[in-house]
Amino acid sequence: MIAGALFYYQGHWWYNRLLTRIRRLRQPKYLFGAIVGGLYFYWYFIRSLARGGRGAPIPLGHQELAQGIASLVLFIMVALAWILPYSRAALSFTEAEVAFLFPAPIGRKTLIHFKLLKSQAVILFSAILLTLIGRSWGGGHFIIRALGWWIVFATMNLHSLGSSFARTRLLDRGFSNWLRRLLVLAVLCCVVGGVIYWALVTLPPPQIEGRTDLDWLARYATDVLRSGPLPYVLFPFRLVVAPSFAANAAQFLLALGPALAVMALLYWWVIRSNVAFEEASVELSRKTAERLAAVRSGNWHAARKPKKAARSPFQLSPTGLPAIALLWKNLTSAGSLVTARVWLFLVWAVIFGGFLAHSLTSRTEGLGAGLAVCALMLAGFSLFWGPQMIRSDLRLDLPVTDVLKMFPMPGWQVVLGEVLAPAAILTAVQWLLLLVALILFPNHFERLVTTPAQRFGFALASAIVLPCVDLIALIIPNAAVLFFPAWFQLGKDGPRGFETTGQQLILMFGQLLVLALSLAPAVALFTLIFFLTSPLFPMALRVLLGGAAAAVFLLVEAGFAIRLLGAVFERFDLSEENLAQG
Amino acid sequence: MDPAPPIITQAAPPLIEVEGLTKLYGDFPAVTDLSFTVRPGEVIGLVGPNGAGKTTTLRCLAGIIPPTRGSVRICGHDMAGQPIEAKRRLAFFADEPRLFDYLTVDQHLNFTARIYGVAHYREVARPLLEELEMADKTDKLPGELSRGMKQKLAIACGLLHAPEVIFFDEPLTGLDPIGIRRMKDSILKRSRAGAAILISSHLLHLLEEVCSHVLILKNGRKIIDGSLAEVRQKFSEQSGDTTFEEVFFRATGESKGSP
Repeated sequence: MIAGALFYYQGHWWYNRLLTRIRRLRQPKYLFGAIVGGLYFYWYFIRSLARGGRGAPIPLGHQELAQGIASLVLFIMVALAWILPYSRAALSFTEAEVAFLFPAPIGRKTLIHFKLLKSQAVILFSAILLTLIGRSWGGGHFIIRALGWWIVFATMNLHSLGSSFARTRLLDRGFSNWLRRLLVLAVLCCVVGGVIYWALVTLPPPQIEGRTDLDWLARYATDVLRSGPLPYVLFPFRLVVAPSFAANAAQFLLALGPALAVMALLYWWVIRSNVAFEEASVELSRKTAERLAAVRSGNWHAARKPKKAARSPFQLSPTGLPAIALLWKNLTSAGSLVTARVWLFLVWAVIFGGFLAHSLTSRTEGLGAGLAVCALMLAGFSLFWGPQMIRSDLRLDLPVTDVLKMFPMPGWQVVLGEVLAPAAILTAVQWLLLLVALILFPNHFERLVTTPAQRFGFALASAIVLPCVDLIALIIPNAAVLFFPAWFQLGKDGPRGFETTGQQLILMFGQLLVLALSLAPAVALFTLIFFLTSPLFPMALRVLLGGAAAAVFLLVEAGFAIRLLGAVFERFDLSEENLAQG
Repeated sequence: MDPAPPIITQAAPPLIEVEGLTKLYGDFPAVTDLSFTVRPGEVIGLVGPNGAGKTTTLRCLAGIIPPTRGSVRICGHDMAGQPIEAKRRLAFFADEPRLFDYLTVDQHLNFTARIYGVAHYREVARPLLEELEMADKTDKLPGELSRGMKQKLAIACGLLHAPEVIFFDEPLTGLDPIGIRRMKDSILKRSRAGAAILISSHLLHLLEEVCSHVLILKNGRKIIDGSLAEVRQKFSEQSGDTTFEEVFFRATGESKGSP
């Protein structure tokens, strides 16, 4: 009877969730997202399966090695499950499940069965996803690979549950976490030491000299994995991964029996355990609910990190431009790394390290040039990825827009204050990278010959232009928040799906397009000044003049955009965007 | 509790003037043609069944959402035309304290001072924190505070700029008996100091204790507004000792026995 109720709950939970997802396709944002997301998934995952569903087969000589490595990975994961955890056994339930099921006349075993059944959905989803992502990892049919992944995940799930019960029982019997860890580590050291000793004594050393490929390593690793003590240690793990490596249905069926036997053994272990998990589960469900609520309200920051008070980045005077208060707040929220003291230390470290590297020119010239090029590449990438990664602006403050709306400040100041913090952080990172490049870039790099004056001119021009580009690059996603706020509420209606992936893709491409269009006139202006002044000034000065003109143009552009967005913010109706409470 | 009567100056111009306020959500009218005024020292209770439009009204008055039609004036400043001047004079306390996760108590006050331009905020904040029993918690983050303490921090931030107009949405939610008593005292203290206060609450006994006036809403429309005595008299039928709870049920046409 109880099992029926639990099946009813789980069945209807999935059905209603699916129905909600289908119904929301009536909204254009989800419909377009679903179309783009569907195309993306089809293009990258389904198309190759439709063509036959087989990836490139693992080379004949490497099959044993691949299987051995897979079983070794499982072995390590199982060992970690006995070493790392420190808390008591806790099954993850939602708060509603805790409220309804824990006080209900339901036995502990039924709850475990319910939990095992519920976890099957996640396991199946993960198995299918990994099959799609790793479609070229092996030669077997995709159904065999999906079932193989399912066996691996389901077995690991059972072990995770069983080991958590066993750890709790050990704690109840006076075995502290550290004692358990020491014992497990001691056993592990014996195993690893035994394998290394056996390999050194028995196997011939690998012939490395003159070899440019890694075949010697593969051969040596195969020898270690198939002979000596390791095959015995990895035997049960090999049974679990064997179905994943089956090349055809017959091999799969042959490997399935032993794998299911391991699963059955673990199931028996879990069900036989009679460990009180309720109290820890209640606490876990509360924490999960808090984290989920934070994520659903868009506050990933709060969901991810333990909260710790951060030092203020600078002393905020109680009077002056209110926008600076938002800059100060967002810099404080960004954490203790965003303080003047930290950045001064970094600048000092770069200068000291750079000049130290220069003083060792004969040994480090190649390294210095490599670091300088890396720094320049990172600075370039940061223009595109920085604004996506540093989100301490309206994107993070979207859940508290009602608070921002109450502040007695014009809309343009709200927008300016919000975008200043990520712009400042991004600029600081870029300036640091420029400093690295300026100090370490050599006079001769490949076929490029530069003078110190030219390098300084480039660095200074970049240092002037980059903050302006950052400002534009950050205004764009903030404009998207104000123009399409509902698109930024992705987590609010429930779990993500391919329609939300599609929404993110549309937003990303849209933002890139707008960024390119916004930067184009400034690039044209720079080019014009650079070439027009060529008869008059040396290159370093021309770069600097062009950069300064482009920066002024971008600042004017940013100013207009901030004014426009400020007006949009003032008219922004939270109730229409379904952000208000009602 | 027998509070001292608030100072209500009939001659003083109203601090809150609402004229024909209408708010539509799509086609659905959340608030329709609402008009009322609140003078200095008046505490007006906004009551009504669920979905009556109380929170929407408060959010329109605080400038969080724009009304579809009508006007809101705070201390003579039109919320649509002079929103900054209007917002500078008001404080809105939501039922759930809205705080920034990564700012400490002290940083919240510093931030609020800059937003409202409170030059000597430390002199103002110190007695406020002491009054709210938070003086030893200045370096705590909201996550380290209890629900009641969070509410106190929100109050401290809201009162830092000495607002002339204060809106409360369910001010007693989550408070313990001592907190409830202090909140009532605090409301009365501000009203005696001349603030115009509007409280939205389902707790009719709270309104009966602290409010000088009442405004009853149903389905977004005003049923009645006036002083407590006036409203009670209108719905008291023959007997003169009708409770405010009975007045509410008669005014809204609800059955007291219904679930």
